[in-house]
Amino acid sequence: MSSRTGSPKLRSAAWRISLWATLAFACGTLLVFLFLHRFVASDIQRRSDAWLSGEVEVLGDVAERTPKDALYDRVVGEVAELAEKEVPNKDLSESSSNDSVFFLQTGADASLKLWVGAGRGEPYLQAIQAARIFPDQPSDLHVRGFAIPFRVASIRIDDGSSIYLGLSERDESRVLRNLSIRFFLFWLLLVLFGFAIVFFTTRRMLTHVREITEAASRIGHSDLTARVPTTKRNDEVSHLALTLNRMLDRIESSMHQLHTITDSLAHDLRSPLTAIRGKLEISLPAFPQAEKAEPIVSAIEELDRLTDFLNKSLDVAEAKADALRLNRVPVDLDELLKIMIDLYEPSMSEKGLQVSLHSAGPLIVEADAALLHRMIANLFDNELKHSPSARSTSLRLRVEGQSALFVLEDDGPGFDPEVLPHLFERRVKGRESNGHGLGLAFVDAVARAHRGTVTASNREEGGARITVTIPLNSL
Amino acid sequence: MRLLLVEDEIDIQSFLRTSLEEAGYQVEAATDGKTAERLAVDCPFDILIVDLGLPDQDGISLILKLRQIGVHAPVLILSARRSVDERVLGLEQGGDDYLTKPFALAELLARLRNLLKRNNPPGSEATKLRVLDLELDLLRREATRAGETLQLTPQEFVLLEYLCRNAGRVVTRSMILDKVWGMRIQPDTNVVDVHIYRLRGKVDGPGQQPLIRTLRGMGYVLKDR
Repeated sequence: MSSRTGSPKLRSAAWRISLWATLAFACGTLLVFLFLHRFVASDIQRRSDAWLSGEVEVLGDVAERTPKDALYDRVVGEVAELAEKEVPNKDLSESSSNDSVFFLQTGADASLKLWVGAGRGEPYLQAIQAARIFPDQPSDLHVRGFAIPFRVASIRIDDGSSIYLGLSERDESRVLRNLSIRFFLFWLLLVLFGFAIVFFTTRRMLTHVREITEAASRIGHSDLTARVPTTKRNDEVSHLALTLNRMLDRIESSMHQLHTITDSLAHDLRSPLTAIRGKLEISLPAFPQAEKAEPIVSAIEELDRLTDFLNKSLDVAEAKADALRLNRVPVDLDELLKIMIDLYEPSMSEKGLQVSLHSAGPLIVEADAALLHRMIANLFDNELKHSPSARSTSLRLRVEGQSALFVLEDDGPGFDPEVLPHLFERRVKGRESNGHGLGLAFVDAVARAHRGTVTASNREEGGARITVTIPLNSL
Repeated sequence: MRLLLVEDEIDIQSFLRTSLEEAGYQVEAATDGKTAERLAVDCPFDILIVDLGLPDQDGISLILKLRQIGVHAPVLILSARRSVDERVLGLEQGGDDYLTKPFALAELLARLRNLLKRNNPPGSEATKLRVLDLELDLLRREATRAGETLQLTPQEFVLLEYLCRNAGRVVTRSMILDKVWGMRIQPDTNVVDVHIYRLRGKVDGPGQQPLIRTLRGMGYVLKDR
């Protein structure tokens, strides 16, 4: 079955629905069949009882009218044998059928007077005497040596003797057994067929639901302009698809609006910043002496800090709304970390901080290279600024599942426990921090934008640990 | 060098014009796409500076239109946008360059020089660089100052090479990060300064004339006089 291709959850949903429906269906049809079976069984019983009563009456008649001479036994015996040939429900293929019927006549003293049937008549007589059979009322008789009971009808004739006609229920139960087997097979077929229909209908519907889910999750993480697949059918599932698409329209429009706002805010602030910076710069050479240039120089530095703050604020704002725009390319994290260590190593060793990288070689992720650069730089900046007494920093990079796992650990004092739960929020900074409190919020923002995670904790043996995961590919 | 400056902000246009003319460019300016097209058709330019946010059209469409009508001069794109457009990256691969606002003038001038150099490659690249008594052998990756070999790491050599190639001109921290480490980032810490400080310790020995100067608020300059 192709259900192996489906996601396990939906497959189990299809299974569950089909199983319950089939169970209900099976119970219902089983009841109907049981009722039919009972009806047929009682009908067969009625027919064989009617035959027995009719035949035993005829035989009684014959026995009464036949002169009680030497030929009596032969005449009655012949008639009884003839009657045996008209047994109802008889299986024609069975040749030795004469053991299914017996004829027995007892005298007035309840002794065996006449016996027509297979074997000897005594066991039958004993059984009849033990069972106490009433005339005109066929009843079951268990004879020793026979697993299947006989149906026996009796009649008392005027000379005080009784006539018993017995019919084995073997043929009747065979017919009923055949009927049961046919009913069961037919019922099984019906149930399987019903299950197949329900299962395939449900699965088809759920496949559509799954397609919608998959498309929606793809849209959620990459392309907001795409839409979930819709069908021409006018059912609940296609309504779901339409509703989702309408919701996506609204999300896309508000996302677009957010981009427009941040873009125009950036533009409106950056243009004057550019003009101011430019003017400050061209006014610089006019002051050759350092003291006079000082205010301009520090104004430029302030401007640069302001610009950086503006950029990071907008990035964090967009990322918090899951609206950071990514330009995914293959990035080798191993190489990136080596370059970053190369860049930061001198600053770190100035502070007496040893840095080491443990990596198993190239590790490619589909990510926005510029954002990753800035994210790693932020982590390193954070390490430089906030670990005053750390002696060593270790970086570990490896693949875990479908993600790249990057762990940064140091042996410094660790994070302030008060700050730790809010570390990745905007404007949260340690007591000794002199930054604008956006660094780790930005790291979190970039990881989120890539559908990754950042967690910070204090190591048991002392020191801080920051763990970043980035999925290997965007799907 | 004839340069076409397409920028709608008058303030920015005016200071750019001043500093570009100071740097020896012959500047024509336009404030919208239409004017820029007309100017570009009328007379050929060696290089263009195009702002992305023009009042009448998108800067990218203007560049593509100019390419269609046969203007092949390299373009430096100025962008005040937040994210770098895929199309800008496409143009960058096609030989153009971009700069996000606000920028340091030194960086703008350096990128212009690079674009011009890329489009007119010299016949053969020199294998040695010389600035005063500092000499770099680009093939053997060796640097000497006044005849004495400097013990440089490969990264330090690349950094010194970049400073030498721009001797006498200001290089900013972001230019160094871009060219030496290949990253457009703005670190919160003074990582570049520490690299320069170490390099200076090796290049400017005791009693020697200091070659690497720091210009606060701007960057560094390797003295060539």
